[in-house]
Amino acid sequence: MLDMQDISRVYRTDLVETHALRGLNLSVDAGEFVAVTGPSGSGKTTFLNIAGLLESATDGRYLLDGVDVNTLNDNQRSRIRNEKIGFIFQSFNLIPDLNIFDNVDVPLRYRGFGGKERRQRIEKALEQVGLAARMKHLPSQLSGGQQQRAAIARALAGNPGFLLADEPTGNLDSLMARQVMDLLEEINANGTTIVMVTHDPELARRAHRNVQLLDGQLASPDLFARPAAADDVDLQPVA
Amino acid sequence: MFFYNLRLARMSLMKQPGLTALMVAAIGIGVGACMTIVTYVYALSSDPIPDKSEELFAVRLDSWNPDEPYWDNKPEEAPEQLTHRDAMALLESTIPTRHAAMRKAVYTVVPDSEDVAPFLNIARMTGRDFFEMFQVPFLYGGSWDESADANAESVVVLGRETNEKLFGDTNSVGETVLLGTERFTVVGVIDAWQPAVLFYDMNNGETNPVEDIFVPFTISDRREIAGAGNTNCWKDEQIDTYWDLLQSECVIVQFWAELETPQQKAEYQAWLDNYTEGQKALGRFERPTNNRLSTVTEWMKVNDVASNEVLVVMWVGFLFLAACLVNTIGLILARFIAKAPVIGLRRALGASKGAIFRQHLLEVALVGVVGGALGLVLSRLGVMGVRRMLSDADRLTGMNLDLLFMTFGIAVLSAILAGLYPTWRVCQMAPAGYLKTQ
Amino acid sequence: MELRPILSAMWRNRTGSVLVAMQIALTLAIVVNCMFMTKERVDFVNRPSGMDIENIVVADSVGFGSDYEHDRTIDEDLRLLRELPGVIAVSPTRSIPMSGSGSANGFAGSRDDDAPRHTANYYFVNEDILDALGVKLESGRAFRDTEVRRADDPDLDRLSPQVIITRALADKLFDGEPAVGRLMYDGLGESSEVVGVIEHMFGAWVSWSDFDQVAMFPRRTGGTQTRYLIRAEPGRRDALVPLVETTLSEANRTRLVRNVRTMEEVVSNSYEGDRAIATTLSVAVVLLLSVTGLGIVGLASFTVRQRTKQIGTRRAIGARKRDIIRYFLLENWLMTTIGIVIGTALTIGINYGLASAFEVEQLDYVFLVIGMFLLWLLGFLAVVAPARRAAKVSPAIATRTV
Repeated sequence: MLDMQDISRVYRTDLVETHALRGLNLSVDAGEFVAVTGPSGSGKTTFLNIAGLLESATDGRYLLDGVDVNTLNDNQRSRIRNEKIGFIFQSFNLIPDLNIFDNVDVPLRYRGFGGKERRQRIEKALEQVGLAARMKHLPSQLSGGQQQRAAIARALAGNPGFLLADEPTGNLDSLMARQVMDLLEEINANGTTIVMVTHDPELARRAHRNVQLLDGQLASPDLFARPAAADDVDLQPVA
Repeated sequence: MFFYNLRLARMSLMKQPGLTALMVAAIGIGVGACMTIVTYVYALSSDPIPDKSEELFAVRLDSWNPDEPYWDNKPEEAPEQLTHRDAMALLESTIPTRHAAMRKAVYTVVPDSEDVAPFLNIARMTGRDFFEMFQVPFLYGGSWDESADANAESVVVLGRETNEKLFGDTNSVGETVLLGTERFTVVGVIDAWQPAVLFYDMNNGETNPVEDIFVPFTISDRREIAGAGNTNCWKDEQIDTYWDLLQSECVIVQFWAELETPQQKAEYQAWLDNYTEGQKALGRFERPTNNRLSTVTEWMKVNDVASNEVLVVMWVGFLFLAACLVNTIGLILARFIAKAPVIGLRRALGASKGAIFRQHLLEVALVGVVGGALGLVLSRLGVMGVRRMLSDADRLTGMNLDLLFMTFGIAVLSAILAGLYPTWRVCQMAPAGYLKTQ
Repeated sequence: MELRPILSAMWRNRTGSVLVAMQIALTLAIVVNCMFMTKERVDFVNRPSGMDIENIVVADSVGFGSDYEHDRTIDEDLRLLRELPGVIAVSPTRSIPMSGSGSANGFAGSRDDDAPRHTANYYFVNEDILDALGVKLESGRAFRDTEVRRADDPDLDRLSPQVIITRALADKLFDGEPAVGRLMYDGLGESSEVVGVIEHMFGAWVSWSDFDQVAMFPRRTGGTQTRYLIRAEPGRRDALVPLVETTLSEANRTRLVRNVRTMEEVVSNSYEGDRAIATTLSVAVVLLLSVTGLGIVGLASFTVRQRTKQIGTRRAIGARKRDIIRYFLLENWLMTTIGIVIGTALTIGINYGLASAFEVEQLDYVFLVIGMFLLWLLGFLAVVAPARRAAKVSPAIATRTV
């Protein structure tokens, strides 16, 4: 499903050169539920951005479903994001002006489905996450857990083979977090590959396989359970 | 997708009504101000007789002072009028399809009815070809016949207004009317006709109204009439009487010829040159031969119909629009940058750069359309203001389809131009950058 | 306050700063050029005419029909008009000064064939013309009533033996030497003796370069047309207009009385285009300043909103409200100033362009100074409200995740 070979990512500014990933090798099989853990600054976000085709690796090979994504242009990458990948973010990233139905609709629009097909898919996805009754609500009218379930519905609506989750429970209290994790497990059980980035070892344990990042590389499996840092620092690519 | 984008654009614009209002106002005011003056200049510079303007020629012979050219600022040009005797001579040529000498005169119209007070009217003394040459529409009757020109008969074509004053709105062909001390027989009544620019005689104002009385030009050759219009003289000669004036070197007559083919034009030009050569032998035309045939549009240029002052104001209008656009670019950029997180999200969810580009270009185009509507209203207001200030503006500044399209075209084009850079910037945003910081 | 952090913040947001500066620059260039050209027009319209335009009424008379008698009509008209209440003086004239219609001819100051000819507007008037126009006689005398040729005079169309001219024409004809008593020649070698010189008056065409070269001959106009200049005592002009109309119309039915109106209307009509341009340009100035002002308000408000968190942080670490306000004022002042510097060059460039393409005069730099001051003020006023809003941001926002 996902095969990363020797992936590196360097951020350059005028003053510093930051090596976010240094020769990462990772492969994920179809149907797996993999948790990627690691402390702040270990390269989790960079890994996620590259895995999700939001940015490109400086070096290395990345095959997604057998396709070498480095050879794709921006439009083709957009198309793959749209059709094959579902995103789930820590802060949900629902569009505040759109109601739940329209939020789930967003990727389907770019897919070019007809109105009927979109409606069916949206309703099915919202049913799956238990929000069928709330589709006319605005995100602000929902609880955090409901918002994240709506975001999951948006990720699922296009039937992606591959879900990328970034700290999906990071902004939720423990009860809601559990519900969201239950939902993700259920989705995985239905055959969707999930890669989840988290610094919470508790959460990571619920995945089939844990991978730990350290200084932009895969740590050896016996290096487990490192203490997480308090803050998460974002690296933004330099345009 | 278009309607989806339209919905997004509408939502986005409604979300920050203040900023949207500012953008619409900036484009609207810019376009409104610019179009107000463009409307005026457009009327002054558009072809008043587009079907035939390339076949109609203002005929001029350089009979002026050997010591100095007629125009200080364009010495290569000939005077805008002919002497009476040259005009009469030119009428002998059989080369033009149609031709007419013409001159303005003042007539007192003395109605037969006691109820209507006598009134003065500007008349045009011209040939029978005038009407067909300039495509003048007739309400009743038509032009006089050739014998009327040849014999200087007392026949008249009335304008609609004068006909209404004298005869009500009835067909007055065959009736008579007292002009000064002479009775004229009505042969035709013309329908409403008013070229925006009075191209055939711009000597006393380019935008004057069309005359309301037409009589044969040859009358001026046989009877003493009160001429109007410009009399320009250079030669020191004793001119005491009307007849002295007709024989003098003073230029007083406008002359037009219809020449349908280049051969016809060349032939006529040769004829004119031959004529002035002959006159040189008589001691006239001492300047180098400079006989000119100018099409309607060329003639308008020679006459500076759109004056420097007006053109300056037009350029100020364009600069004004540019300033409004820079303003709009800033506002659009601000708004798009504020939307960066949502745009990043859409990119993550699979929107291509093209899709984002189209979405936002539609948004600015929408601003352009609304701004254009505002601009249209403002330009109409501006035109009303111009009408209050300029007495000739009424006839000039009617709305037409061209101007309507031009207003919207400029507005939408301006908005898109202003939106191009911000939209491009938005498309360059890396999708990953904004997802965590919402 | 230190400029460096502001400058580096502006550099990071350079597109925005460049846009504001460009906006200011373009506005300055347009506003200064418009103000300057407006002033040019206003000065042009307000040139002193030398005549008492405010108190003059004019009228046209056109005879028709076989019963019309020209001289008798004029005799009768003059008598009736002089009797009207408030009338100071009346003169017939061939045309109305500053009306855009009139006649001109070339005259020389000596009989020599190669003496330079100077073009002058000429008028046919009577002995009361100086009072009828309210012009000031500088030297010499007015016409005598016996000098005025009637229309039936067989010598009517010969040059009149006497002439009154303006100082401007006198200086051209006689090179600044005293003109009274000298002879002025037309192209046929006929001459008139200058009996009086008037200080200044306008001829027919307000845009003509020799507008103040005027000659007046004591004679009536031949044919069937004449016009009248009727000067009233101050405050009585408006009542006179309808009175002149009815008096002349009723006195004689073999002619038409037309265009009875104040000379002010005549003059204002001649300056119509200049006024329209001046008005249009001033409206453009006001509109553009408004658009630019609002645009700056919009952009500054946006910046404040974008930086809410940053402002909160500054407040949390001890910035006072006035520090925040000062920050925004200073930032805006910098952008405005950069805009003004660029705008100065642009202003001169545009003036140069207009000057070479359309014969616009060279810019008077006073207007550049006024324009700079205006834009500084505008930039300041536009940013005050957003800056105050910024100062109201709560320090507590720093600890909140937005």
